[in-house]
Amino acid sequence: MALTPLEVEAIMLSLRVAGWAVLVSLPLGIAVAWLLARYRFPGHSIVNGLVHLPLVLPPVVVGFVLLLLLGRQGPLGAWLDDWFGITLAFTWQGAAVASAVVSFPLMVRAIRLSIEGMDQRLETAARTLGAPPVWVFLSISLPLMAPGVLTGTILAFARCLGEFGATITFVSNIPGETRTLPLALYTYTQVPGGLDGAFRLMVIAIVIAFAALVASELLARALRRRLEG
Amino acid sequence: MVLAAASTAQALDAAIAAFDAGPEGRVAASYAGTSALARQIESGAPAHIFLAANAAWMDHVEAQGLTRPGSRRVVARNRLVFVSESPGIAPFEPSVSLDLAALLGRGRLALGDPDHVPAGIYARQALEALGLWQGVRDRLAPAADVRAALSLVARGEAPLGIVYATDVPLAEGVRAVAAIPAALHEPIVYPAALIAGRGSPLAARFFAFLTGTEGRAAFARAGFIVD
Repeated sequence: MALTPLEVEAIMLSLRVAGWAVLVSLPLGIAVAWLLARYRFPGHSIVNGLVHLPLVLPPVVVGFVLLLLLGRQGPLGAWLDDWFGITLAFTWQGAAVASAVVSFPLMVRAIRLSIEGMDQRLETAARTLGAPPVWVFLSISLPLMAPGVLTGTILAFARCLGEFGATITFVSNIPGETRTLPLALYTYTQVPGGLDGAFRLMVIAIVIAFAALVASELLARALRRRLEG
Repeated sequence: MVLAAASTAQALDAAIAAFDAGPEGRVAASYAGTSALARQIESGAPAHIFLAANAAWMDHVEAQGLTRPGSRRVVARNRLVFVSESPGIAPFEPSVSLDLAALLGRGRLALGDPDHVPAGIYARQALEALGLWQGVRDRLAPAADVRAALSLVARGEAPLGIVYATDVPLAEGVRAVAAIPAALHEPIVYPAALIAGRGSPLAARFFAFLTGTEGRAAFARAGFIVD
């Protein structure tokens, strides 16, 4: 099954977009999950709702909102452009933003579950022994929630690889820039006789998604053994 | 039931409204991109008439014996135009000496994806004929369909776009700044055909109406070119 250079380009681009999306949103994901799991504050359910909104909205709506906000004429987009020279519309960075937003709820949910399932007495013990809060977080809390962080990261990564609606709406379908694997597959289905290419990309998509899931399962198992042993 | 290209919605709705279906029932239309419709017909969609936005997809469906032989007719034709909503872009003549890069500034040229959207394929042919394609191919904003390209222009995300002449009145604030000569690209035709194996007197009657004087008049009122 030989791939054309365009197909290889789409696959590499997908991995780059999904990788950056997950990498950049991970610290924020941990922070938000921590906030939602550990603190009760006015507006808690509003924050929770906002975080989960991309999960229930059609991705096209997310893409359209991003275009209105972050497009060249959008309030945030114009500001980023004027002050930092950053353009997100029609760039792969914009595709990463779209993927990050859509996959964010999945990441937060998984991390939050692991925080809520954590034995807080371990943190209390560390504090009473005089450890500073940051050290408690880094040496006790973070390792304990590692399985959740890992699951959340893999889920978000897989969701990013599959992102279509928000991407095509926000950054359109530019070969080499924003034409990720699902968009390349879609493009194939849109031309007469394009089904062979679509089939090749479909197989690749299944292989990548399956490899990610198996890798996360193996890693999670290894982590559990370390935590328990 | 008519499966029709999205760009024909206004005209076909008007034609259906003008058609007297009689006691036999009613004519319904389902609008989508021509490619999606062709795939639906391949999968056996329960449709009677296919109205496509380009010849290639009709050829594809016809080659598989899915249309009634000899029923294919061209209903209407269309033209391409450059559009803009920016007051800074004055009407111009498309020619080999056109400086598209200067017109675009830092922006992109919105059009239907030239890899698969008919409007984008015609646009590429015209730009290639003018020798402008190489200079602009890295400056495109390819949209999933021509209406999406139009809305990129309408919102100012792209300073310039190429759409069908019939699309221009649909977006407020967008105006045509240059007409693209029809000789620069393949003819933009809207062929219709009856789907094979679905004999319905109502469908046959509507097909005759659509391809006849009254149907064509509805398309002419919507800005299409009819023979």
